[in-house]
Amino acid sequence: MKFIVRNSKNRAPRLGLLKNIEGKTDVEIETPVVLLHTQGGHIPHVTHEVFKLVSKEPQILQIPLVSMHNFQETMQYYNGTISEFIGSKDSLTCLTLQDPSNLTKQGHHVKEKIPIWTKKGKVLYDSEMYMNIVESFKPDMYYLLSDGDTNKSSAPKRISKRKSDVLKKTFVMAPIAGGYCLKSRERCIEAVLANESDVGGFLIDGLHNNGPEVEFLPFVEVKDVVEHVIKKLPPEKLCSVQGCWNPVSVLKLVQLGVDMFDTSYCRILTERSAAMTFPIDSIEETDNFEINLRQPKYVDDFTPIMYSCQCLACSKYSRGYIHHLLTVQELLAPVLIMIHNIHHYLRFFKKIRECIRNNSLSDFENKISEQYKNHQEKVLSAKNQDEPRRFF
Amino acid sequence: MSTTNKPLIFTVLAECKVCKARVSKMILPHKEVDTPVFMPVGTQGTLKGMLPEQLEKLGLQIMLANTYHLGTKPGPDILKKAGGLHKFMNWNGALLTDSGGFQMVSLLKLAEITEEGVKFQSLNQHKSEVMLTPEHSIEIQNAIGADIIMQTTRWLDRCLGAHSKPETQSIFPIVQGTLYEELRIISVNDHTSRDVHGFAIVVEKAKMISGKWYTYVLTFFQKNKPRYLMGVGFAVDLVVCCALGVDMFDCVFPTRTARFGCALTMTGQLNLKKDFNPIDANCTCSTCQNYTRAYLHGIVTVYPVACHLLTEHNLAFQLRLMKNIRDSIHENRFPEFVADFMLNLHPDRNYPTWIKDSLAAVNINLL
Repeated sequence: MKFIVRNSKNRAPRLGLLKNIEGKTDVEIETPVVLLHTQGGHIPHVTHEVFKLVSKEPQILQIPLVSMHNFQETMQYYNGTISEFIGSKDSLTCLTLQDPSNLTKQGHHVKEKIPIWTKKGKVLYDSEMYMNIVESFKPDMYYLLSDGDTNKSSAPKRISKRKSDVLKKTFVMAPIAGGYCLKSRERCIEAVLANESDVGGFLIDGLHNNGPEVEFLPFVEVKDVVEHVIKKLPPEKLCSVQGCWNPVSVLKLVQLGVDMFDTSYCRILTERSAAMTFPIDSIEETDNFEINLRQPKYVDDFTPIMYSCQCLACSKYSRGYIHHLLTVQELLAPVLIMIHNIHHYLRFFKKIRECIRNNSLSDFENKISEQYKNHQEKVLSAKNQDEPRRFF
Repeated sequence: MSTTNKPLIFTVLAECKVCKARVSKMILPHKEVDTPVFMPVGTQGTLKGMLPEQLEKLGLQIMLANTYHLGTKPGPDILKKAGGLHKFMNWNGALLTDSGGFQMVSLLKLAEITEEGVKFQSLNQHKSEVMLTPEHSIEIQNAIGADIIMQTTRWLDRCLGAHSKPETQSIFPIVQGTLYEELRIISVNDHTSRDVHGFAIVVEKAKMISGKWYTYVLTFFQKNKPRYLMGVGFAVDLVVCCALGVDMFDCVFPTRTARFGCALTMTGQLNLKKDFNPIDANCTCSTCQNYTRAYLHGIVTVYPVACHLLTEHNLAFQLRLMKNIRDSIHENRFPEFVADFMLNLHPDRNYPTWIKDSLAAVNINLL
């Protein structure tokens, strides 16, 4: 797999292309791109068969190792790739360590080992164990091992890559750690560039500890670090971040030159029964940034989540029906909300690429920022009266 | 697909020459249903995480919904405003609703029974009391708009009186009498005199079918009306009861067991961890086409998607079993099918007595 930058005049925002994909030569993926966040090999609540009803375009699945650790032994006996094993052979996969939708517990480091918290408790990974997993999973892309912990510089020895034949064609990305200390970040970049000249891209790691809090992380707090790191990175390489960034932060990160995100934000919303309704096309008129379908006012609302949306949930099911499913705690409620949220978020990224092409990304960002600000104010004023219910 | 003015037309297409099994077509306002049929249970207006789009693809023709649950939430007013349950849940197939009577038993601790009706303490957080009378039950069932609705004897006449949509919804009475043959026959006679389109029987467990009373009771039903055995869904029970002449079944078993991580096969339990075969190599469902036992083993009971994948398979399993039964009756080889099925399940020929007795009563001998 190869990454090329398309509009190389500007460092940012920029359009790029992932191409020459091993075994899938007809597939090309445009950046800025959003990876489909998975747990246990699936988008939460959405089977691969149902996802085909949402989109038939080629996708990259983000595979957090923490949710796949229990297959470690099984995969050593399995001949195929991880995308075949999880039942989505047409998708590309990108292996990462932590799950961006769950808060990562801090600390518990042992020398040269990194803890992950599986459902069976803490498991310590060293680079040997990690690379064994990478070899047996055979993903299309993976990150080198890093703890991503804040205020720590990543030791170069930890990121030593194995030159095995199996992984020769795999797209490798190096995490840049160092927390909020610009000096540590620089040291990390230097070490990575000296040791790993053939990485295809980078991950700006250690900006947060994953989980729902990232949605509310003020962008000003990460702006300087991201800007500084991107300036020091080779411009021809892919630059990625992970986590549940809200749409405004996504736009600002794209403006700085970030090429790759994930859909963990969709899960965060779905788990709190919220559907995205922010307008994407200029003709779309919506009152709300997102709506919470658990609210009693939707009980006899037989309109779709969004009239202008073409997704399966909006074309066949009403807000009232989803409200009913939520109140009786039926499995189909998060299925329908997730179908809409993923569809909406994919549309959002398509729009971002279109805006970069037309030089209109700043206008779009202003519009979304305004809507988001109004929404936040509404939420804050309502919060004192009614604490929103979460179910995870 | 609406029929002229009869909400149910039942035609027997083929009968087994040996036992009482038969294949029929049941034309309902929303769908033509091939019987013998298994009907999965969509209690609250949804079938356990499955999209109606997936169910249609599986070839599902009819499912159940529960009157008590839907009457509580979202309630008859919302269902009426939504234009009935079919529209509300986006299901174009047929629907059958129970009377709410079963919840009188399953939620007994919360129910107080009088001649007027059943007073339930509701399960919602307000703990408000809900009075379910026959008139109320039929009002909810009319609001739901199911193709077939159920009623027990005591309530039947009050329900037939309150029924507002006789041209689009058929009432089936439920035969009672537990294990007492005489009581069952009184109950059957009670019903055959009334103008109803089919009959239902409740037994606690299919095993209780053993003994000849059961086949005997079935013969009392008019032959030209469908016979529905409520709450039965294990594969072996379906095979035996088809031989006895039952046309319709329902059970939460295949969907509930899927959520507990259990996949149905014709032969029994599986050792999954390093098993890269599908659940069932002969199954054409999307789960068996795309996923290995090893993968499913690792995600069951952890992620909701695993429920969806196993529910898909278990429904496909149940539908395939019923199709095999219908095909073998059509092709006049049903007794051989039953014998092969039982041998496959009990290769040591150590058949349970109730199976042997029940099948012997309808002239089927095991291998």
